[in-house]
Amino acid sequence: MATQEVILHPASVVEELKKNNISHVVWLPDSETNFLFQLLDNEPTLDLVPVCREGETMAIAAGLWVGGKRPIVLIQNTGIFEAGDSIRGLGLDVNQPLTMLVGYRGWSRHGLTRDSAARFIEHILHAWGINYYLIETDDDADRISLAIEEAERTSKPVAVLVGTEFGS
Amino acid sequence: MIPSMEATKAVNFHRKDALVVSTSFALREWSRVSERRDLDVDLSDCMDRAPAVGLGLALAQPEGKVLVLDCDSTLRTNLGGLATIGESNPENLVHFVFDDVSSGSTSGLPIKGMDNLDLVQIAASSGYAKTYEFDKLEEFLIGLEEVMRQTGPVFVRVKVFRDGFQLPFPERTMAQGWAEVRENLTSDQSEAE
Repeated sequence: MATQEVILHPASVVEELKKNNISHVVWLPDSETNFLFQLLDNEPTLDLVPVCREGETMAIAAGLWVGGKRPIVLIQNTGIFEAGDSIRGLGLDVNQPLTMLVGYRGWSRHGLTRDSAARFIEHILHAWGINYYLIETDDDADRISLAIEEAERTSKPVAVLVGTEFGS
Repeated sequence: MIPSMEATKAVNFHRKDALVVSTSFALREWSRVSERRDLDVDLSDCMDRAPAVGLGLALAQPEGKVLVLDCDSTLRTNLGGLATIGESNPENLVHFVFDDVSSGSTSGLPIKGMDNLDLVQIAASSGYAKTYEFDKLEEFLIGLEEVMRQTGPVFVRVKVFRDGFQLPFPERTMAQGWAEVRENLTSDQSEAE
């Protein structure tokens, strides 16, 4: 029986960002996105903007967007909780078409997760009325394009939950 | 100490066509003084994020100057933002902090420990290229020329006082103001292309 490779390669994500002319990736460096960082850092069409805390990412993205650029935000779901006020005030209230790539820490399709970051994240996004897409493998990567298109069409933040560890 | 409105007018005098991000009490005063509201990005909400919004603008518009008009109490809630700016090192950013001895933003209630916080030292060690501190109007008026010539990021602490009368926030919403600035900047961009 043929087996399907269930892995998301960083190159698939970077390809989606390039396809959509993303100019900046505003992110909090962490261990989960380390593999992605190396590819992003080597990609000349993308500028990386590191932050100290996740709530800054939406604000920096807002400034970039007002200035005519096409940023995305890359953080973990724990950071969404920290950044709540920025998502409200600098995403939803100012009509920022912001795509947020969010590491889905604790995600499991095989039963209950003990990680409250995973248990709460979708409820929080529902509460804000923020739509989201789940990506787990390379086959799902084109949902990043769907999210970017939706954010621009609706002038609202849209999330992409990355439910996997990255493959190398 | 410098009357805050006089400090604001001085910044406006040197502003030229710089983009200005302002917040909290600095915004209340700036919106009365500014002659280029089409280039003003107001933060009447999420007020601690002015430096971050300014950083984004500075990176998006590297050919122009970006001024951030911040307050001591708002900066205190997000000190890590200084390190974020230091790391990105935007040469076109000038970060003013109006350090209000009358504690206007907390209705006159002093923030315990605020006087012990050396914001200039923190900015310098966070990677700002140049820092300044002013507490006399004459020196500020003269010093501003040099401040605006510097390669950034520049940090400027201005010791001010307020007379107790609280100006209102501007009537236009953040969404309206930001859309106007974005329209200006992106139409300029389209014409250049």
